[in-house]
Amino acid sequence: MNSKAHEMLPDTNHDEQAMQEYVRCWRRHLAHKVLPGAKVVYEKRVRPDFVIQEKRDLESIKDVRQAMTKDGYYQFWSAMQRRSQEMMWESVIDPTERNLENLVDVFERAEKDNAYEGSLSLDPELEIPKYHTAVDIHIQPGAYHSEFCKDDVSAGVLYEAGLPIYIDGMLGPDSDGLGENLVRFHGERFPDHRPVKILDVGCAVGNSTLPWKRAFPEAQVYAIDVAAPCLRYGHARARHYSLPVHFSQQNAEQTNFDDGSFDLIVSHLVLHETSKPAMANILRECLRLLRPGGLMLHLDISRGEGIYDQFIYQWETYNNNETFSAFLTGANLSHIGEQAGFERGKVNVDSAQAIAFQVDEFKTMDDFAWPVLVGKK
Amino acid sequence: MTDPKLARVAKGKRPQYFSDPATDKLFAIVMSLVAELSVTRDRLDTLERVLARNGSVSLDDVEAYTPDPQVAAKREAKRTAYIERVFRVMQMELEEVDSGGSTKSFEEVYKTLL
Repeated sequence: MNSKAHEMLPDTNHDEQAMQEYVRCWRRHLAHKVLPGAKVVYEKRVRPDFVIQEKRDLESIKDVRQAMTKDGYYQFWSAMQRRSQEMMWESVIDPTERNLENLVDVFERAEKDNAYEGSLSLDPELEIPKYHTAVDIHIQPGAYHSEFCKDDVSAGVLYEAGLPIYIDGMLGPDSDGLGENLVRFHGERFPDHRPVKILDVGCAVGNSTLPWKRAFPEAQVYAIDVAAPCLRYGHARARHYSLPVHFSQQNAEQTNFDDGSFDLIVSHLVLHETSKPAMANILRECLRLLRPGGLMLHLDISRGEGIYDQFIYQWETYNNNETFSAFLTGANLSHIGEQAGFERGKVNVDSAQAIAFQVDEFKTMDDFAWPVLVGKK
Repeated sequence: MTDPKLARVAKGKRPQYFSDPATDKLFAIVMSLVAELSVTRDRLDTLERVLARNGSVSLDDVEAYTPDPQVAAKREAKRTAYIERVFRVMQMELEEVDSGGSTKSFEEVYKTLL
């Protein structure tokens, strides 16, 4: 009874569809009705009680965390938010498991399709970095990289099937809102920059990669990730949209591309899923891969203003296995970019006003913007 | 391919939200029950609609049923209202905190009535 965006998504039965709808609605309720309440509770109960007991105000994210995690209202929101994330995965695992044989077939047919001009290159010897293997990111069982059968695509299926539930469809029916967001930012800030060779690093299923091929149909678009199941899925997915992309299994810290290969290197919510040394390595590698005059754009998580908002942003670190994301709360990304070798004044953090899919198109959100690390060579 | 089995549990320690771990488990079970009832309500809605249309219903009818946009919007509204009713206690607490609430104990109020 579901309407799928494309053939690599699983069929759902009546009750699976109903469960996915419920989890999506519940998460919307948590985001719009319950989470804003936590800030009221913080200002009107937690903070005044802390001041009375400790004879001082809350001064750090750690203070806020210690005080809030003892508060009953916050505990309930936090426990519900965690459970909703678990139930989101539960709601997509059953249909994925049942459909997996067929979905692998679709991939294997796509791989043999010589008419499609995209490509897929896997490296079974590639070591999966520990920031992927230490814990399952987003508590997706098996995370991006685990394989459960030959030519497995399941991690990619789960990831994309989960997205509209996770974010209430705001990335649009093709889950490409983040790529579209960064394409628009690029067009506004750099209207004269016409890339002919583009690289998307940490592409996962390539959902954010495709808008770049759509925006620059003449450009050659490459996309890399360490996770084979996501790349297989992304390859078949890109073929479905008739958008040729060259996917390869590589670690963005050290790739096999030649120096100065690209005019534009992008990523979408990737840096916060790496590590301190890996992030530095990735930025260094971007600099090596850019041609003179080339441009790097990394869209990443918002870091929040003030200790309360920063504490809430860090919820994902402590409760959703985005272990490294807390580091970005206080990080000076421009400085990290300079340390990686970008010239001072040629690397900075800009802000891309967010877009969200409403009814039948992307609309600009007034109240939310993504930080973008911009680097020029 | 022999039916592949996917992982069901994410690697990484599950946080504890309440002082007693039993409460965490009970809480997770209650959250699942709320969801299961929502699924049942959708299924009931499908049964009623198929019956109203056909006068009879088979399992295939239920699986083949696809809500049109109007029905989908009605269900979304009903589901949203259902969620607001079930989790009402959170809004009650919030409204009390936000308005400054009642801090007097029952005994204090009772004394004023004597």
